[in-house]
Amino acid sequence: MRLRLKPGQRIGAAVLVGLAGFAVLEWLLNAGDPAAQDLANAFAPPSLGEPLGTDQFGRSMLARMGAALRLSLLLSLLCVTTSASLGIALGVVAGWRRGLLDRVLSFFLNLLLALPGLVLILLFAGLAPGSLPMLYLAISLVLWVEYFRVVRAIARGVVASPPMQASRMLGFGRLYCFRRHLWPAMLAPLLSLAAFGAAGAILALAALGFVSVGLKPPTAELGLMMVELFPYYSDAPWVLAQPVLAVFLLVLGLQLLAGKHP
Amino acid sequence: MIHLFLKRLGQAAFVCWSVGTLGFALMRLLPGDMAFRIAAGRYGYDQVNLAAAEAVRAELGLDRPAWRLYLEWLFDLLRLDLGDSLVSGLPVLGEILHLLGHTLLLAGAAMLIAILIAVPVGLFAAFRAEGWFDRAALVASAFLRAQPVFVIGLLLLLIFALELRLFPVAGFDGARYLVLPAIALALSMAAVSNRVVRHSAGAVIASAFFAFARVKGLSFAQAFVRHGLRNGALPVLAFLGIQLAGAIEGIVMIESLFSWPGLGHGLAHAVFNRDVPMIQGAAMTLGLIFVGLNLAVDLACHLVDPRGRSDE
Amino acid sequence: MKPLLRIENLSVYAGDRPLLENLSLSLCRGERLTILGETGAGKSILIQAIMGLLPPSLRASGSIQIDGRDLATLSRRELECLWGRRLAMLPQEPWHALDPLMRAGRQVAEVYACVLRQDAERAAANARRDLAGVGLEQAGDKLPGQLSGGMAQRLAFCAATAGGAQIVLADEPTKGLDADRRDHIAELLRRKGEEGCVLTISHDLEVARRIGGRVLVMRGGRPLEEGPAEQVLNAPTTDYSCRLIQAAPGHWPRIERRADGEPGPAVLEARGLAKRHGGKRLFQGLDLRVGRGEILGLVGDSGCGKSSLGDILLGLLAPDAGQVARAPGIARHRYLKLYQDPPAAFAADIPLGRLFADLLRLHRLDASRLPPLLERLRLHPTLLERPAHEVSGGELQRLAIARALLLEPVFLFADEPVSRLDPITAREVVQLLTSVATEHRCALLLVSHDPELVERVCKRTLRLG
Repeated sequence: MRLRLKPGQRIGAAVLVGLAGFAVLEWLLNAGDPAAQDLANAFAPPSLGEPLGTDQFGRSMLARMGAALRLSLLLSLLCVTTSASLGIALGVVAGWRRGLLDRVLSFFLNLLLALPGLVLILLFAGLAPGSLPMLYLAISLVLWVEYFRVVRAIARGVVASPPMQASRMLGFGRLYCFRRHLWPAMLAPLLSLAAFGAAGAILALAALGFVSVGLKPPTAELGLMMVELFPYYSDAPWVLAQPVLAVFLLVLGLQLLAGKHP
Repeated sequence: MIHLFLKRLGQAAFVCWSVGTLGFALMRLLPGDMAFRIAAGRYGYDQVNLAAAEAVRAELGLDRPAWRLYLEWLFDLLRLDLGDSLVSGLPVLGEILHLLGHTLLLAGAAMLIAILIAVPVGLFAAFRAEGWFDRAALVASAFLRAQPVFVIGLLLLLIFALELRLFPVAGFDGARYLVLPAIALALSMAAVSNRVVRHSAGAVIASAFFAFARVKGLSFAQAFVRHGLRNGALPVLAFLGIQLAGAIEGIVMIESLFSWPGLGHGLAHAVFNRDVPMIQGAAMTLGLIFVGLNLAVDLACHLVDPRGRSDE
Repeated sequence: MKPLLRIENLSVYAGDRPLLENLSLSLCRGERLTILGETGAGKSILIQAIMGLLPPSLRASGSIQIDGRDLATLSRRELECLWGRRLAMLPQEPWHALDPLMRAGRQVAEVYACVLRQDAERAAANARRDLAGVGLEQAGDKLPGQLSGGMAQRLAFCAATAGGAQIVLADEPTKGLDADRRDHIAELLRRKGEEGCVLTISHDLEVARRIGGRVLVMRGGRPLEEGPAEQVLNAPTTDYSCRLIQAAPGHWPRIERRADGEPGPAVLEARGLAKRHGGKRLFQGLDLRVGRGEILGLVGDSGCGKSSLGDILLGLLAPDAGQVARAPGIARHRYLKLYQDPPAAFAADIPLGRLFADLLRLHRLDASRLPPLLERLRLHPTLLERPAHEVSGGELQRLAIARALLLEPVFLFADEPVSRLDPITAREVVQLLTSVATEHRCALLLVSHDPELVERVCKRTLRLG
């Protein structure tokens, strides 16, 4: 089972590879300290030494952007992996076995859906301010619901479908049915969901930073950088543009990769 | 019909319980002595002393076991007693009601603008599917969707408030203050929903029943009004239920950006200040608005779709 | 008399490939023409061409005239003005063609209101009269989802013709309907043909016979033979027409029905089965014994529970009451099912050969058994290199039979195995199925909506409903 990407998805993948490449290369080759201040050199325009210029404290924007991108990408990757594994596992079980477990899980799901995701994340952020593990937990808790819903619906359909019924009657086991019937049916929607989920995680992290309830300074984080640099928009617009552009490209790349909305 | 109400009622109850429980946990997790902090909230930090803190401790019964405090906390919630703000010392309920009005105003204005943009754009794109307008709408939507809502707000703020000075930057003091935040929110909502309208209308126009209506002799306009609107509205409504979550999130961000004195701003502010009763009140009210809007969507679907009604 | 519809040398091409070649016909008032032929013979393209609904990717030549006016000279608007007023089209899938949210009566009344500009009251009265005329007087307030297939097709008939059109085009109007309902629709078309003219496309010979008028046999997009219905159906002159007509179950050789009925030891015994579906009782107190190697037919109206009964016998569905006992000592996987829609039986997008290899490995079967089996079922081994959706329905159904036979089944439940196949292929598949079942001493429960088919090949028939 191979996935064929449409042209739009390829562009999205290319944008993401570019951003990830920048984040990794900055870490390997430049390895600047995103917190090192040089007040005499504030808002230095881009130069050979500082290709992206410096911010209000004279910190290297190259190092800060690299660190912020790594943070966003790693957090979204972690959140998506966690929530996807949880959602897929529970969704397959609930959609396949039906019965009590399905009813219990669906009940909790309906309850969880009663709170808008960001409000829930804000509440968790309030529980432990500035804590990255807490943000990771909160975002994953919000994201797994989508996987569960989609996988459960697909599993229900596939399990009741004639092809899988035929395989079961021919004597094939659960593992075979999962590999031949369930997994191929789930793969494309899951890729979409993963991309949307990653975009959601990046946006949530930036949003919390932006309203100053996420990670604390001096962490290099895209939302936090925007709100810190906003007062200086007329002095150094190119510096403010960097985190804005980074979030835009990250989310655009992921949305292009996701293709059609599921 | 009753089933719909019961389901949403259950969700509302869950919102209150879960937010209340989190609020209780937050309260216990606050750094420092809670009694001292509450006393500080009441009398101001300058006038607080140990005696005042002791008085508060006795009054709140903080020496009793946690599970009893928890039950009392929930019981207070049942009586709509949300406690007093740790920052201002005023009753939370009153502040919430004050903020709620502003939030509803902003949300209502934004939704109205979003509908005025999304429905005509979506329909026109669907009528000329794959034409230049459709493609332009697609690109513009993708562009807007890739921005977090606060970046849209930020750009509007930079251009129309700080550079052109057409509108005020932040706060609320008259209708002019409403324009930028409402447009920012509306743009982010319309970016997605115009495509949903486009796809839904496109699916209806390509459907067998639409073709059959034309073949029966109905004109395109007649067929669309009689068969397209209701059938096309169903997926849009179903999507609206999903998008509402995004709209509430957008409200939190936009209100914070424009210092709009609403619930979202209140919530973010309270989280920043660790003002637990306010966090609890604002989150709960936002959750309840969300559940209420979902109920409205359910009822709209019920009105549009005669299938599966119990009175059949 | 001036023809209402006249077609001259019509050809339709997809790129360079002809879908329809050199078709000429004309229909005057009171005439009926039924076009017979296997699916995919360009028949539906013809109706699309007449309606002016050909997809833009197709290219047409020749002329189509309606009331003497050439369609090519009409503007789009003028063409659309013919719809409903002069030209009516009956849909192939009535359920999909009806607005799922609008009540039956209104779907007819709106034609009177919008097309004929009658006031609401008169339009409603006319709609009620039309519905009563086709036996739907009780259904005016129902939604399409609450109608049966036959009722939905009659409703679509009323809605399509309410605008006063005299030229009626019907594309497989009886698809999926059982015999009684099929005859009812054919009768409606025959009556309509007496006022105007009717062009029907079908592969059901009985429909052609009942509508009467003329019959045109087509193959591969080319007209083969045309003549009065009785003449073509009773004494076809071309070889293909002969085969097409011989393929109708009514012409199949009859197997001997043995009165003594001494089937082998029971492989399956059911006692007191009952099942309800959607508040309706499907069957109750049903006893059934299936003997080794027995070929048993199962008939009944659509929705009467034929498939449910088969699924209960296979243990795929739980009965409300009663039990099913299998013969002791026989593996579970020797009770199998053949599906109505052949691709439904195979995992999508995977070469069939790999699915066969999976099965051989799972049950440690001797791979050398497969080639002779394929040969017996007249299947070419290279078919296994393709995934299911690239293989024709008839071949795929035979592959499904081959796959079942690998497991030496003792009981096969065939749920309408040929209803999606064209008549010539259907006959071939049913005859192969019954003969290999007999050879392998496998009991066969054959479901069909066509009592005649079951009559011809089954020794015993069970009727539901």
